[in-house]
Amino acid sequence: MDQDSELARRAAAGDAVAFTALVRLHEGAVRRFLTRLTRGRGADDLSQDVFLKAWRMAGHWRGEGSYRGWLMRIAWTQFLSAHRAAGRSAARDQAAYDLDLPSAPDPDAAIDLNRALAALGERERAAALLCYGEGCSHAEAAEIMGLPLGTLKSIVARARTALAAQLETIQ
Amino acid sequence: MIDDNLIDERLTALFAEPEAAPDEAFVGRIQRAVLAEQRMAAARKALWLRFGIEAAGSVAVAIAFVLLGRLGPFTLELGKGPSGPGLAAGLVLLLWLAVELRPVAATKT
Repeated sequence: MDQDSELARRAAAGDAVAFTALVRLHEGAVRRFLTRLTRGRGADDLSQDVFLKAWRMAGHWRGEGSYRGWLMRIAWTQFLSAHRAAGRSAARDQAAYDLDLPSAPDPDAAIDLNRALAALGERERAAALLCYGEGCSHAEAAEIMGLPLGTLKSIVARARTALAAQLETIQ
Repeated sequence: MIDDNLIDERLTALFAEPEAAPDEAFVGRIQRAVLAEQRMAAARKALWLRFGIEAAGSVAVAIAFVLLGRLGPFTLELGKGPSGPGLAAGLVLLLWLAVELRPVAATKT
């Protein structure tokens, strides 16, 4: 049994210390995903909601796939709920948004990437973030987003084309 | 036309961020929220338990009154103890008193 599974099993039994260890292991990935997905707006609150939901649903984790993937799935559904609850349409914010990305190797490239991401629809953005940013396979990303594999592949292809067109650094 | 694989490689490199150390402030925030959640769950459980006890007590008292109502005027014959519905109702009332007074006694100590 790997470390995540063992910690998740203990968390399901109500062990808050084990759950805290899981938070420590995965908060970076969840917050990075949500920060880029929400374009920085309310990402930390949403991340907190994700972990609280994961705590409440700890007993539901069946050990199929990775724990991080399970968290990402919760993050995606929480994002969609928050997005719909806020009554926001899928209108795209073309304006540049300023993210604090101190660890990015090239700040200019990071800003370009953020601008390019902002121009994508939420599904394309999420698919690109999962496949390129978090190293998920297409099958994992499809599972996280609750989409058929073929649909996910089409979305990734659209995201790739849009990003490639917008990012001068890629050309 | 650039090869898709090449674009994928470049995008992956562009998205890459070094794994940072855990943000302890955020971890602490979650820890506190989980602790609060645990306390709330415990309080909710205690509340439901209390509600169950109160409900059971109320039902018992109601049954006791129904049984007493069926007795008619209370008479105590010499040499005979109370029996039948009267005894049952009395026992139920005693049980209710015990249940009701127990928490009061516990909080006073």
